[in-house]
Amino acid sequence: MKPSCSRRRLLGLLAGGAGWLASLPFARTAKAAVKNVFASAKTPDGYNPTKHHWLMCIDVDRCIGCGLCAEACKAENAVPQSSNYFRTWIERYIIKKPAPGVAALRGDVIVDSPNGGRNGFPPTLVPKAEILKAFFVPKLCNLCEHSPCAQACPVGATFDTPDGVVLVDPTYCIGCGFCIQACPYGCRFMNPDTHTAEKCTLCYHRITRGLQPACVEVCPTKARIFGDLKNPTEKDPLQEFIRHNKVFTLKPHLGTEPRVLYANIDKEVR
Amino acid sequence: MNRFGLPPQILRLVLLTALIVGTYAVARTLLTPATFGQYGHYRGAALEETASRKPLFAGAKACDECHSDVSEKATKGHKLISCESCHSASSAHVRNPDITTVKLTDNSCLRCHSSDPARPARHKQVTTIEHYPGDHCIECHLPHQPNKSP
Repeated sequence: MKPSCSRRRLLGLLAGGAGWLASLPFARTAKAAVKNVFASAKTPDGYNPTKHHWLMCIDVDRCIGCGLCAEACKAENAVPQSSNYFRTWIERYIIKKPAPGVAALRGDVIVDSPNGGRNGFPPTLVPKAEILKAFFVPKLCNLCEHSPCAQACPVGATFDTPDGVVLVDPTYCIGCGFCIQACPYGCRFMNPDTHTAEKCTLCYHRITRGLQPACVEVCPTKARIFGDLKNPTEKDPLQEFIRHNKVFTLKPHLGTEPRVLYANIDKEVR
Repeated sequence: MNRFGLPPQILRLVLLTALIVGTYAVARTLLTPATFGQYGHYRGAALEETASRKPLFAGAKACDECHSDVSEKATKGHKLISCESCHSASSAHVRNPDITTVKLTDNSCLRCHSSDPARPARHKQVTTIEHYPGDHCIECHLPHQPNKSP
């Protein structure tokens, strides 16, 4: 009996199929290279992430704890309204005088952040006579050089963009919460509606349109300094900030190398 | 022995390996998003998707286009403050001026100017029960130039 498909023909077909399959990855690489040439490396409105590097710095001395930033952030980014979810928030540090007879420079440290400072701060219950000093500290994603959150993510959903922002790809995020545990600054939360991790994006939708992040826009004392390291302006706010202040980072001992710099901060802040 | 001079079990092995590698190549091509690796080991389109959100705060420049007289006034008083700090997110108002921004109250002032030990001493603060209790802020202070009276 004559077979319906000869051995010669079958082997030929298999070899041809294998060759075609093997060439696919190369074809894809070539396609991507061609696409890159034709300006695919740009967002639709002509924004090129490789041409910018954004940074926010905080001048603690200027913060008055009005909470407008926390409120604006929630509105702008549709952050869940509950007081557990914040992309940026304010903490009030009250450092008490040492108890009488105690050989110490300072006493207890009381930190509060009612509703993230979103509605402002109620008067403190600590009597004025007991307060050594007090100050507000705005907090946000520290934009670490070596982000623990990006390292902890098992599916590569968190990444550093070329323009200096740490973003979450919600289509990749599986909601395991490892990044939330990994962030030493508590800057992440699990969105209760989407069940994906969320964090400060430096208002990526605003900065790509030439606007300032919402918190920077509304800050009435310019305690938040924002700029582009790759395109410094004349009298660049970031460079002026570095020139006129002694700057620090939060939890430097962890080796996360935060890019967000704080000026006039005290050792109690972490 | 066949025409390649290979024992049949080796030929089967070669074909099976080719099939597995080929299936992997096809699956990888189909499953990897087109923009993966555009900027790094992640999906490049995620940047555009994050950026595709519509801003709610229009920015002081947008306010200045119609209300330059008011922002001019503010340069002599509340000069650091952006319009939307007090008047709230206004991009809807920019698109359609009939949509008004929020009405301001005494609390809009007190949010920044009520006294708190954590506020810098140079920042002007009042204790409401001592500073003209019962009166409204704007009875004595122009909102855009708080050092002036109406």
